[in-house]
Amino acid sequence: MLAVLSAVCLFPILWMLLSSLKGDADISSLTLLPHVPTLANYAAVVTELPILAMIANTVVMAGAVTVLQLVTSVLAAYAFGRWRFRMDWLLYTLVIGTWLVPFQITMIPNYVVIAGLHWLNTLQALIVPQVASAFGVILLTQAVRSFPAALFDAASLDGAGSWTTLWRVVLPNLRATLAALAILQFISSWNEYFWPLLVTDKPTHTVLQVGLQMFFTDQGNQWGPLMAAASIASLPILAVFLVSQRQVMDAFVRSGLK
Amino acid sequence: MSAIASEEATLVAVPRARRRLGAAGLRPYLYILPVVASLGFWIYWPLLRTFFLGFYTWNLLPTTPRVWVGLGNYARVVGLQEMGIALRNTLIYVVGMLPLSVALPLGIALLTQNLGARARGVYRALIFMPMLMAPVVVATIWDWMLDPTGGLVDSLLHAVFGLGPVYWLNSQTWAIWVITAIAGWKVVGFAVLIFAAALTGVSREYLEAAAVDGAAAWQRTWHIVVPLILPSILLVVMLTVLLSAQWTFPLINVMTQGGPVNATTNIYFELWQFGFQSYNVGWASAAAVLLFLGFGVIAWGFTALMNRVAYRDS
Repeated sequence: MLAVLSAVCLFPILWMLLSSLKGDADISSLTLLPHVPTLANYAAVVTELPILAMIANTVVMAGAVTVLQLVTSVLAAYAFGRWRFRMDWLLYTLVIGTWLVPFQITMIPNYVVIAGLHWLNTLQALIVPQVASAFGVILLTQAVRSFPAALFDAASLDGAGSWTTLWRVVLPNLRATLAALAILQFISSWNEYFWPLLVTDKPTHTVLQVGLQMFFTDQGNQWGPLMAAASIASLPILAVFLVSQRQVMDAFVRSGLK
Repeated sequence: MSAIASEEATLVAVPRARRRLGAAGLRPYLYILPVVASLGFWIYWPLLRTFFLGFYTWNLLPTTPRVWVGLGNYARVVGLQEMGIALRNTLIYVVGMLPLSVALPLGIALLTQNLGARARGVYRALIFMPMLMAPVVVATIWDWMLDPTGGLVDSLLHAVFGLGPVYWLNSQTWAIWVITAIAGWKVVGFAVLIFAAALTGVSREYLEAAAVDGAAAWQRTWHIVVPLILPSILLVVMLTVLLSAQWTFPLINVMTQGGPVNATTNIYFELWQFGFQSYNVGWASAAAVLLFLGFGVIAWGFTALMNRVAYRDS
């Protein structure tokens, strides 16, 4: 039973990769491996889609969102974790509360804002609304609160200001949590789909996920090239997973337990 | 243990000396400003605007004036046949997902618990992989596998049983279950990880004591393990109830567009249609508000329940 389940889980991913390497002759055949592996499907994707622009847009969006979320989350978590201040409980609850607000509830007003700024089909439309992450704040705040109080007292005695303490004391101790968070945020941003679908509709200005859907809608039965495009859209994520499975899985579990 | 309970524990454990109220002056507010401003502007402000837009008729064009209709949109949305179908389908998705997101993963987590650490890690990593795949990619892969002319599933059915072709996604009977199964396929490995994390917290001593008392393996599981990890089970049930509509939305949007004849639409897809297909902002907003309140009540109920369960076992 366990073996069957793992086969069911893995096989479709494998089938995507294998199909992407098959030529027209054996794309529908039941043989597992391509007769003659070919990159023709990938070549077709390059000629039919502005795939390089889409890759570039996705890399910039995922990279920028990850970095910005890390920065804003660290700053907020440092404050929530280190000090008590008026309304801290209320503000922290409001941050957590965003978890309860699904994308579909805020999408129309946010679309109106982006359209009003004439930001449709721009990178800033993809990035700016996502600079803060409630999950990042929660995860890092818990980490900062677990530091011994002596750590901050010692820094204060040394005369270090709050900014210096953040750089010299807090960040070095958060390294592992930050790495896990960065990986998780990169993956979820790379896979992001709804928001780019709303604010971009030009193939050269959109990201891989939306590009894949456009390609699918236009060329519904060109399965070889479609599987090649799907593989291109997944390979970076699979690569990240291959080198850091432990952290990815830990981060996902914590995101479920937030 | 539920995250909320652990959150409270952390708050209590923090030494007084460090967290003295007001001692830090304005500094904390400066540090939290980027997050609070961003979430305020992109989440809470649009949430308020959605509340207001629910009282108007508007078609999303800046040049068209909004017309006040009071509770008219709410009255219309509640009576819409599409909303009824979407709600019923959402319920089917939730109920269909539960075996795949709770029962199966719980079984897998228990079965893999006694594997060697290395084999366990590899196995859980393998079944986790679908969770990493982007929803659009997942939809494309399964569309190809289920293609009635030349897709793998159909070729196999034909070769082995002489059946087919089956038009899975064009069938009013099959389509919704196919989408449920694909959404389940995606989250199984994730749920296994959550249960596995909970199981590592179950003390060996209880189980050994019960074994000495002559309790059979299934009795130990049912009477000791399950009650101890109940908060995690409730958590995954809650995630399934709240998120099934989210998990299935991209699959619906790519694979079926809600069809055939509304057979696969769900509540979020209907909202999406109101807003960006019919440009009926009023309906979309009114429905969004109702949905937000409904899911809010459900989340509150589950959280209260989880806190009670967590309290009882400590």
